[in-house]
Amino acid sequence: MTYVGIQTQIRRNNFNSVLLVLAFPIVLLGMVYAIIFFSQRQQEVQIVNDTFVRVVPFVILGTTIWFLVAWLIHNSLIRMATGAKPLERIENKRVYNLVENLCISKGMKVPQIYIIEDSSLNAFASGINERTFSVTLSRGIIDKLEDDELEGVIAHELSHIRNRDVRLMIVSIIFVGIFAFVAEMAFRSIRFGALSRGKKDSGIAILVVIVVSAICYLIALLLRFGVSRSREYMADAGAAEMTRKPYALASALRKISSDPLIEAVENRDIAQLFIENPQPEEKKFSFSNLFSTHPPIQKRIELLDQFA
Amino acid sequence: MIWIIPVVIVVIIFWLIGIYNSLVRLRNTRQNAFADIDVQLKQRHDLVPQLVETVKGYATHERELLTRITEARTAAMGATTIDEKIKTETQLSAALQGLKISVEAYPDLKANQNFLQLQEELSDIENKLAAARRYFNAATTEYNTGIETFPSNLIANSFGFQRETLFDLGQERVSFEEPPKISFN
Repeated sequence: MTYVGIQTQIRRNNFNSVLLVLAFPIVLLGMVYAIIFFSQRQQEVQIVNDTFVRVVPFVILGTTIWFLVAWLIHNSLIRMATGAKPLERIENKRVYNLVENLCISKGMKVPQIYIIEDSSLNAFASGINERTFSVTLSRGIIDKLEDDELEGVIAHELSHIRNRDVRLMIVSIIFVGIFAFVAEMAFRSIRFGALSRGKKDSGIAILVVIVVSAICYLIALLLRFGVSRSREYMADAGAAEMTRKPYALASALRKISSDPLIEAVENRDIAQLFIENPQPEEKKFSFSNLFSTHPPIQKRIELLDQFA
Repeated sequence: MIWIIPVVIVVIIFWLIGIYNSLVRLRNTRQNAFADIDVQLKQRHDLVPQLVETVKGYATHERELLTRITEARTAAMGATTIDEKIKTETQLSAALQGLKISVEAYPDLKANQNFLQLQEELSDIENKLAAARRYFNAATTEYNTGIETFPSNLIANSFGFQRETLFDLGQERVSFEEPPKISFN
């Protein structure tokens, strides 16, 4: 693994975010064009082009509105999906002290703190700017970890915020959501269209569906790798540097690995934000390992132990 | 090819301006970092008189120590520059550390609810102070490295950027980094 310092990581993440934002409309328009092309009966280029030109403003307007709305309310959406609530300061002075001290020592603004009332152990960071950055902890992780261990976990999440990992993640999640929506719409309209037109065109319809889903899958894959797994190692290293107690984070990860599943959170898009994102079903050949968003926790613990 | 000379000169000038600006940025970051420390110092100044009042009633033999704390606080509040503050606050820290040890001899005081609360607040402030000091020292080191390494040291020398002091606790460091030992018996 090549060495990547924190400043490099921040720059790379910002660059990737911009790249995603730029690449997105191009890919989306290409996809719309493909859908129109294959759903035309004659597939005459002139008709396809005309339809495309007519449809494009609506597509752009729709996605812009979607993106802006998602950008503005994603925090409440995530909070709703995870059932997170703001953490009370008076009853949780310990957590606030840990977060504030870490933030002070790095000169960063203190993020909002949320809690998920769940006995399992997990945590995640979210947000896109100083105003919305937040750290969410489960009740289990607060109650079951020692101070040092909890400090390590919080430092890991703060590192994600400092590295601007969270912004990149949120952007990619919003995009994947839009693609899934468009693909779903195309899928449905073609299926209905095929039904009304009879069986003659169903071959084309199936082809369209395959093409669309293949493109979506490819894009989802690219996004996953764009927000590569090395950021987890980076955040672990950042946490070790912040707390100067790598062994504490290692022992926290050991405890977390025993029960990381927050049962209430089924949305895989959101689950990839967590400090540990377990794959529910184990497959023999580690296909899931290839495409998982998190490196194996055992490997992370080994690396941290090397520091100590 | 004569046009290349002014181009080179302009490029060099912009490069020098860039270095100068980055040094100014580093210096300002350091000063901002001290603002974080100031917040904690001010809270400590507010807390010390209450602490002294509470201790006074119990620890009758510690008048000298209490006077020293009060004087150190007054001196620290009067300090204006960062360097002065670092010096006077270090003395206040040392005096407070002395108090932490002395109160061990007064079981009644240690049972006092008010005192326990004040002591907890003080250790809370000192934890935050330690964190703020880490950030300040990191910013200071970055600035010092900036003005000492080539080629930015040339700019630094000609524009009067000077090496700045760390908020170091010097001799006291070891005893501060360790939490005060409190025994309950």
